[in-house]
Amino acid sequence: MKKRVLSVLLVSAMTASLFAGCGNDTAAPSDGTQTEESTAAVSSDDPNTLTVYAWDANFNIPALEAAEADYKANVNPDFNLEIIEQSQSSDVEDAITLAGSSGDYSNLPDIVLFQDHYFQQYVTNYPDAFIPVDDAEVDWSDFGAEKLSFSTINGTHYGFPVDNGTVIFAYRTDLLAEAGYTIDDMTGISWADFITVGKEVYAKTGKYLLSMDGSGNDLMYMMLQAEGVSQFKDGAPYVTENETLVEVMQILDEMVKENVLYLANDWGDYTNQTIVNDMVAGVMNGNWIIPTIESVPENSGKWEITSMPTLAGGEGYASNGGSSLYITGNCQKTDLAKDFLAKTFGGSKETYDAALKDGGVITCCISAGESEVYSQGVDYFNGQPIYAKIVEMGSHVKVVEQNDYHYDMRSQLSTALINARDGADLMEELKAAEDNIKFTMGL
Amino acid sequence: MPATILLAIMSFYPIIQAIITSLKTGSSANMQWSDPLTYNYARMFQDKIFLRSVGNTFLYLIIEVPIMLVLAMLLAQLLNNKDLKFKGFFRTCVFLPCATSLVSYSLIFKSLFATQGLMNTILVNLGILEENYNFLGSPTSAKAIIIIALIWRWTGYNMVFFLAGLQNIEYSVYEAAKIDGANGWQTFWRITVPLLKPTIVMTVIMSINGTLQLFDESVNLTSGGPANATITMSHYIYNMSFGQGVANFGYASALSFLVFIMVAILAFINMKVGDKRD
Repeated sequence: MKKRVLSVLLVSAMTASLFAGCGNDTAAPSDGTQTEESTAAVSSDDPNTLTVYAWDANFNIPALEAAEADYKANVNPDFNLEIIEQSQSSDVEDAITLAGSSGDYSNLPDIVLFQDHYFQQYVTNYPDAFIPVDDAEVDWSDFGAEKLSFSTINGTHYGFPVDNGTVIFAYRTDLLAEAGYTIDDMTGISWADFITVGKEVYAKTGKYLLSMDGSGNDLMYMMLQAEGVSQFKDGAPYVTENETLVEVMQILDEMVKENVLYLANDWGDYTNQTIVNDMVAGVMNGNWIIPTIESVPENSGKWEITSMPTLAGGEGYASNGGSSLYITGNCQKTDLAKDFLAKTFGGSKETYDAALKDGGVITCCISAGESEVYSQGVDYFNGQPIYAKIVEMGSHVKVVEQNDYHYDMRSQLSTALINARDGADLMEELKAAEDNIKFTMGL
Repeated sequence: MPATILLAIMSFYPIIQAIITSLKTGSSANMQWSDPLTYNYARMFQDKIFLRSVGNTFLYLIIEVPIMLVLAMLLAQLLNNKDLKFKGFFRTCVFLPCATSLVSYSLIFKSLFATQGLMNTILVNLGILEENYNFLGSPTSAKAIIIIALIWRWTGYNMVFFLAGLQNIEYSVYEAAKIDGANGWQTFWRITVPLLKPTIVMTVIMSINGTLQLFDESVNLTSGGPANATITMSHYIYNMSFGQGVANFGYASALSFLVFIMVAILAFINMKVGDKRD
């Protein structure tokens, strides 16, 4: 008898927790009363409330909060933005995949934050998932052309740019000094000279001059973009016949073998072991890597940033990563959503100033980047006004051909580099990578 | 009857749906019948990464399963000793790894063997290694670590089955062997192993089945890397269906059926081999 009572209790407790779980998933409507309609899950009935999926409480979410405050103060005092935090960017992609695969978009929020490199592929696969925003009141020419190339498809604008993925090369000036170099020596040098410096830095300090996630290696993309070359040509992979790509791969291969570049096992290894755990004297990535660099308080004042090296020498500029905001096919209040995004991320200094202060989000809106907040020096980077520098560098980034298979290409080239490190012939590996990517694309 | 209905809805219906999906291609929002129908099935034999994952999985199978089962049998034999004290304590110790979750033990192994991890510190301090070695970064050592992790995790589990099997062997058989002058080694191979045959067949089938579906270790310990050197079939199937921006459900379903067929064939062979003496 006792057992039966216990099991009934257990079952009821489980059922209760199940329902409680559902209750947490559905965002409470703004007026605080619970409605049980299924479509109320992530979109609100209130005409002044918008819902948004976003990730990263230290970066993107402060930017969205800044936009909400700006719109509330200057346009619509009743406005309310419900930010539904996702634990990582792939959660948003999965939500779109799920909605698109089932043909039921009703569980999507009004707006999603979406990674730039994935966007075109998702529009191709799920054409109903996003709404064009050409008629929004935005001066599109005020944005970096390279950034807009991701969210514009066949001339139609879909997204509002949030951050700026401009690549920075951050160096530990104290370690460079030990090897007898300054940050100015590193600006505008060629990759061949970079290797010479890297060897000396490794010999003197035991630190690598550069590191990267070996399985998702972005270096070749960034180095190629600095040369204005793409890994794709007319929608097809452009690898073995692409002399620039081959040269970049040869340089990377040499860097790995000369202990200039360290290939980490995965992303966590890259950020935690190599950057935070002080294995490197240099970091090259999109400027969203700055919070990772800054997470070591002891190294404050020792870092400075500059542009990338290039093959022939001269300053190189590239962009990697970043995301934009898109209105989903489920949004019932498209006018409000367009107006909100246009009057905030569409070029409002107030939004971008607060986003920079609270989240370190750097705009790719040219006029907003002229705000004085951007010209202030940052103590961690030895008082260097890095934000103004990043905005300035961002304006030089060249537009290169993008492709739905960007990440497939990245993993194939990463594999080729690792195999070459482990003794395989680089050209054969590149040939295999090209064959594999063609196979994936069905060419 | 209710069980049949439940089984039909929860198991057979999805299986049929999966067969249908495996014959389709295209984006998951708009799947089309593939042309020809066997497109996905033909494609997998040209897919170098998939073939590599098959190779990896079988390598794990061939190396890990025999080592693990022999170890499990020896441990069971030791713990079955009548005169052993603290038997329960040792038994718990050996079985304990099975109580840990797959993800958490993978992550623990990952941090143990990290470049700055405990194993490197110990080996460098003992003078075995000169400098920290990136165990998970080179293909051979990464594979070895996955195998070590698997042995650690599953030996105790299989030992319990052997222990149960051993308890069913009459002690008088061993006494008779002792009187005939058999030493411990002979007793083990001539008496214990043949009498444990049904248990061995069962554990082998379970281990083969488990290894072919290996997923957590590949995902969490090495993320399939370096350069796909440790990726398993299930991990590749996962990447094809839920990997970022892929959603190639048709192809993934086709791959799953191949794994299903492999498991079925291996289990069938095993049953035939095991049946001989019964």
